[in-house]
Amino acid sequence: MDRNYHVFSDGRIERKDDTLRVVTDDGEKKHIPIEHAEAVFLHGQIDYNTRLIGFLNDHGVAAHVFGWNDRYSGSLMPERGQTSGRTLVEQVRAYDDPDHRRDLAASFVAGSIHNMRANVTYYNGRGHDLSRVITDLDNASERISSGMRVEELLGVEATARRAYYQTFDAVLPEAFALEGREYNPPPNPVNSLISFGNALVYANCVSAIRATALDPAVSYLHEPGERRYSLSLDLADLFKPLLADRVLFRLVNRKQITTDDFRQEVGACLLTEDGRTTYTRAFEETLEETVEHPNLKRKVSYQYLLRLEAYKLKKHLVAGEPYEPFKKWW
Amino acid sequence: MSGECNDQQDPVNRLLATARGDAVANPFRVTGVMMQYYYVCQRELWFASRNLEIDRENSAIVRGTRVDDSSYGDRGEENLRLGMISLDLLEDGRVVEVKPSSALTEPARMQLSYYLWYLDRVAGVERDGVLAHPTERRREDVELTPERAKKVEDAIRKIHEIVSDESPPEPEEKPFCDSCAYHDLCWC
Ligand code: SF4
Repeated sequence: MDRNYHVFSDGRIERKDDTLRVVTDDGEKKHIPIEHAEAVFLHGQIDYNTRLIGFLNDHGVAAHVFGWNDRYSGSLMPERGQTSGRTLVEQVRAYDDPDHRRDLAASFVAGSIHNMRANVTYYNGRGHDLSRVITDLDNASERISSGMRVEELLGVEATARRAYYQTFDAVLPEAFALEGREYNPPPNPVNSLISFGNALVYANCVSAIRATALDPAVSYLHEPGERRYSLSLDLADLFKPLLADRVLFRLVNRKQITTDDFRQEVGACLLTEDGRTTYTRAFEETLEETVEHPNLKRKVSYQYLLRLEAYKLKKHLVAGEPYEPFKKWW
Repeated sequence: MSGECNDQQDPVNRLLATARGDAVANPFRVTGVMMQYYYVCQRELWFASRNLEIDRENSAIVRGTRVDDSSYGDRGEENLRLGMISLDLLEDGRVVEVKPSSALTEPARMQLSYYLWYLDRVAGVERDGVLAHPTERRREDVELTPERAKKVEDAIRKIHEIVSDESPPEPEEKPFCDSCAYHDLCWC
């Protein structure tokens, strides 16, 4: 699987002969081998030109852009693999059929709750009593039924997530108290980490969807148009506990990230450049972790699990075979 | 009148009408690769008919059935495109098809038979075929006998049935699944 490259500094990204080159404002030059790039993540203030866009396009490499607050602000998406009329028709048809849409939305919620639960059970018994959270998650799971409207399903998901966030306060040190999830802007370090991690999961799902010719704007659990790539939100929910939350727990508990890695700015708590680098490195390492896949009978990376999820959805939509959401099986 | 209507419903006739450029309400095409897939894996045939291409992780894998016949490329051989088929001709005009491995002889033989059938029925040209294996240096002559022609036509009808289906045939694990482009899509 190809790698993600992150650019944190301000400067310029350009095509230089047959490679990508980053020239930072302080004159430092770095090369990115484009053959091995899945996507470039631009976190700083970066200039680029149309020649770069053509070059990224030719190599099927996406560029994900992050703005102030570490918020995802958009992607330059390569053309390749993005057009298949039939796939789009089937995707929209499933959205338009209320039962079909509900079934898919219910699958995403069931998968998300399962994966949250996997994190909770890991910490339960490791010095924490989280049996209440587990019960709450199980109750939420049981409420999912086939006749549920999408708004109700979103409600179930929200309830489950609220219960799940109690795990954060139980597991993390005092300085990383969550005090409720707040997004915009994140008021404290843990909210800031959750937001940043979720944005990385989201952007990686955009890349995964790109490989399938599914349209990232047509979604089932989230309302299309809610954000530009709402299908990415559907998939990202499944993987946040496995990727973003695990990285957060690990880094904070091992004190690799401390309150020194944050700065307060206009009412927002933001990661410093060091903090972002530390988080991103751990996140990328996690994407490269592998697990034995029971059906493929080989090891696959976590990053490839995102890709497989997009394949599964595409197969379901185009071939009519059942869709089983990703549920951590190990 | 009714006979003509029936004719148009038979996939074989529809294919022939399409190939001849007649006005057909719903044209039907079978490529050589589709004929080959029909014998290799019917699920693969269905996926290919839907353009369900995927970029699987190990993209370096090249399927045995798609072994390039470049070992014959410098022998004055000619490539001929004719409607829905594209075939390789030897200097003496015989149609040559490369057999990638002994396990996949029948798919290659049927692909070749389909070319001969197509040449005969569409272009009115009778040709013989050669099934060749570049590494074994062995060749097998293939002729369009009436039995073979019937086998081709039966296969065309079955192919039509498969690709018209809403869903693909169930996956079945085969020895070449590992190197199939659809592997991850099938088994994920
Ligand atoms: S992986 Fe196996 S079953 Fe699936 S399409 Fe390929 S050959 Fe057929």
